[in-house]
Amino acid sequence: MNNLTILVVDDDPVIRRLLEQRLAKENYTVLLAEDGHKAENILQGNHVDVVLTDLMMPGDIGGIEVIDIAKDLNRNIEVILITAHSSIDTAVEAMKKGAADYLEKPINFTELFLRLEKIATMRSILRSAEDLRQAMDVTETNAAATIQNLELAVGNIQHKLDTIESILTDDSIDSDIRVTNALNILLN
Amino acid sequence: MLKITAEELKIIAQYIHEISGIYLDQSKSYLFETRLGSIAEELGCTSYRALYDKARRDPAKLIERQIIDAISTNETLFFRDTSPFDLLKHKILPEIIDARAPRSPLLKTNIKIWSSASSTGQELYSIAITLQELLGTQMAKFNFSLLGTDISDTAIKQASYGKYNKFEIERGLPRQTLQKHFTLFGDTWKVKDELRGMVNFRKLNLMLPFTGLGKFDIIFCRNVAIYFTLEDRKKLFNKIADCLADDGYLIIGSTESLTGICSRFIPKRHLRAIFYQKK
Repeated sequence: MNNLTILVVDDDPVIRRLLEQRLAKENYTVLLAEDGHKAENILQGNHVDVVLTDLMMPGDIGGIEVIDIAKDLNRNIEVILITAHSSIDTAVEAMKKGAADYLEKPINFTELFLRLEKIATMRSILRSAEDLRQAMDVTETNAAATIQNLELAVGNIQHKLDTIESILTDDSIDSDIRVTNALNILLN
Repeated sequence: MLKITAEELKIIAQYIHEISGIYLDQSKSYLFETRLGSIAEELGCTSYRALYDKARRDPAKLIERQIIDAISTNETLFFRDTSPFDLLKHKILPEIIDARAPRSPLLKTNIKIWSSASSTGQELYSIAITLQELLGTQMAKFNFSLLGTDISDTAIKQASYGKYNKFEIERGLPRQTLQKHFTLFGDTWKVKDELRGMVNFRKLNLMLPFTGLGKFDIIFCRNVAIYFTLEDRKKLFNKIADCLADDGYLIIGSTESLTGICSRFIPKRHLRAIFYQKK
């Protein structure tokens, strides 16, 4: 079961179609954009888990800018760059900007699916960690309220006992009065 | 995974207690196996006894460090459980600032705060952020000493470096606070120098005597004593009482209690939080 939604950004219609078919066959939900502007529109209106973008595209928005746009909208979106071998330095630069990974052309689909699986696994681990934290928070909040009430109650009782002790051991006062005073504290 | 024997459990549990104060329930052998198994394998040990012998013989104590890192829990977040920081901001800091006001306006107010199990630093940085939020431009009138200590060298190193991955940081910190105090590099956020300059971290084993720490005005000791035996908790909070100013404040974990542990403190409530002061 693959429930990731993937946005493919590439100016080449052949590559777009190829990626769409192969990803759909693996049960990924696929969205397509032919340039950075379309990608931005789609990202603004749809939930996307992974952006798969070409590094070099005609126009003013290239793959690097797509990373910025996606990360600005939602830091949890993962971006995988597709690069020609000659532009690996740029791809490394892109990783520093927050890209999850890069793939060299021609695309090796086995490799691509492995990376996507890794992202899906990572997301499900994060999700369960988040669920556990929330469950822990609820338990902790409840336990804290109970413990704090007990802590204060014990503190009050201790204070009463200390007062009673000091009254009862005060030899300067008549013992009957001491007992009466101590009883008053106890009953209040 | 390498299996641990009953005899090894006893030896290792005692060793861990000795080096860290952490008490591990010997009925939970899986805990020892999941946390120490990979270290044993990595070092080519065929048993936990062999790991123990190797750790004992290691003069640089690198294995001891590895074991402490593996055993200690570093579950911590920025502003994890907001109530102690609200308490700090709205109750404790205003009170201590009044109490410590210097005689001359030319002098600075000295306030010492200690995060006694600072882990990877989130608690102490959260305290520093709280101070800046509360005092703003008034900060120059104060001389804050913010100390974070932990048993783990690795945790201290990360805390000192002030670098956190996005999962460690984005939960708990509002975007505005994040951008004000941290710089983004790829997927990691690094504490800005201004905040970094306010804090100090160093290694400390809470089981050993607290020498040279002086007196603190505010001490945070949250969610660390839970890993200690009752006897060790008593010793710990007694030492904490010794190094807390007479009118100082102690904050412990929200599910922790000092009942039956230290009678030198009394609990006080402020809104939904509890803090302790000396009797």
